[in-house]
Amino acid sequence: MKPASGLLALTLHLAIVSSISFGGFPTVLPDMRAFAVTSHDWMTDQDFTNIFAMAQAIPGPNMILMMGLIGWKVWGLAGALAASTATFAPPCAIYFTAFRLMHRFQEAHWQRVLRSALIPVTTGLIIASGVVMAQAAAVTWGALAVTGAAAVVMLMTRLNPLWLLAAGGALGGLGFLV
Amino acid sequence: MSSALPLEQPAAAPLGAIAAAFLTVSVFGFGGGIVWARRIAVEQRGWLSDAEFLDIVSLCQFLPGPNIIGIAVCTGTKLRGAPGALAAIAGFLVLPWSVGLALGSLCLRYAQAPLLRHVLGGVSAAAAGLLIATGLRLLLPHRRRPLVIGLAVLALALMSFSRLPLPIVLLALLPLSIALSTARRL
Repeated sequence: MKPASGLLALTLHLAIVSSISFGGFPTVLPDMRAFAVTSHDWMTDQDFTNIFAMAQAIPGPNMILMMGLIGWKVWGLAGALAASTATFAPPCAIYFTAFRLMHRFQEAHWQRVLRSALIPVTTGLIIASGVVMAQAAAVTWGALAVTGAAAVVMLMTRLNPLWLLAAGGALGGLGFLV
Repeated sequence: MSSALPLEQPAAAPLGAIAAAFLTVSVFGFGGGIVWARRIAVEQRGWLSDAEFLDIVSLCQFLPGPNIIGIAVCTGTKLRGAPGALAAIAGFLVLPWSVGLALGSLCLRYAQAPLLRHVLGGVSAAAAGLLIATGLRLLLPHRRRPLVIGLAVLALALMSFSRLPLPIVLLALLPLSIALSTARRL
C-alpha cells in the first residue's frame, strides 16, 4: 500500500486531465501512463497494459473503470472510488452546464471556430493513445501484427469490435504473440 | 407520430426508465455506445428527435470527457433536469462499474499467471489497434486538408514520443490550431 498522499495526487491529476480530455478519455492514456508508471512508479508498464486490456474487455464504462482499477491496484476500494469519481464527475458537471447554455450560443461564430480547431488535435491524440498502448504492450512482431490487423479490420468493416478483442486474446493465449 | 392523444402533454419520463435506458447503453455500448443511445432514446422511447440527438452528440464531442456519459447527462437533463442527469449517470455507472471492478480486481490478482498474461497482452494489442482506427476514421473526412492532417500528425508525434504531459501539449497546439481556424485555414 502506497501513502495516501499519492491517492490525493492521482485524484487531482485525474480531475484536471478529465476536464481537458477533448475528444474523449482515450486521449489521456499516454499522459496517465507517464504519470502512473514513469513519474510515480506506482505500477509497471505490464500492470498498466493489463488494466487497459481488462477495462477494454469488460462491458461498461471502460475508461472510468480503467482509472478505477488503477486506483484499486495501489490503494484498494478507496483508490478505486476516488479515481473513478475524479474521472467522470468534472466532465459531467461540464456537460450539465454546457447543455443548459447550448441553445443560447448554438450558432455563435466562436463555437464553429473552436470546433474546427479541435478536430486535428483530438484525432491526433486518439491515434497517439493507440500508439502508446501498442508500445506499452510487449513489442513483438506478433503483437504489432495484431494491432495493425485490428486497426485495418475496424476501418474496413462494421464488425463488432468485441470479436477483434476476442481474437487478440485468443492469439495471445495460444502463445503466438510472445 | 404514434401518439393517440396528440394534445396531451407528454408524460415526464420516469427516473427509473432513464436509469434503465443508460444501463443498457453502458453494457451494450461496446465500441459504439452512440448506436445504442440513439436506438433507445430516439427510436424506442421517443424521448428525443433525431435533430435533438445530433445536437447533443456534437456538443459532447466538442467538450472534454468520456463522450458517451455526456450523452447520458444531456439526455437526462433534457428529460428531467438535474435529477434526470443524476439518474442517467447512476444507471450508466453504478452496476457496470461495480461488476467491472470486481471482475477486474479478480483478474488483476491472477495477472501474473502466464496464460492470463498472454491473453491480456493479445487483447491489449487489438485494443490499441481499435484506438488507432477510431482516430483515423474521425480524420478520414478531412483527408484533403493538409493543415488538418499536419496538425494531427504533430499532435500524434508530440504525445507519442515527447512524453510531455497532456496539458502542455494542448497549450502548445490549441493556440496554433485556433489561430489557423480563425483565419479559416482549417
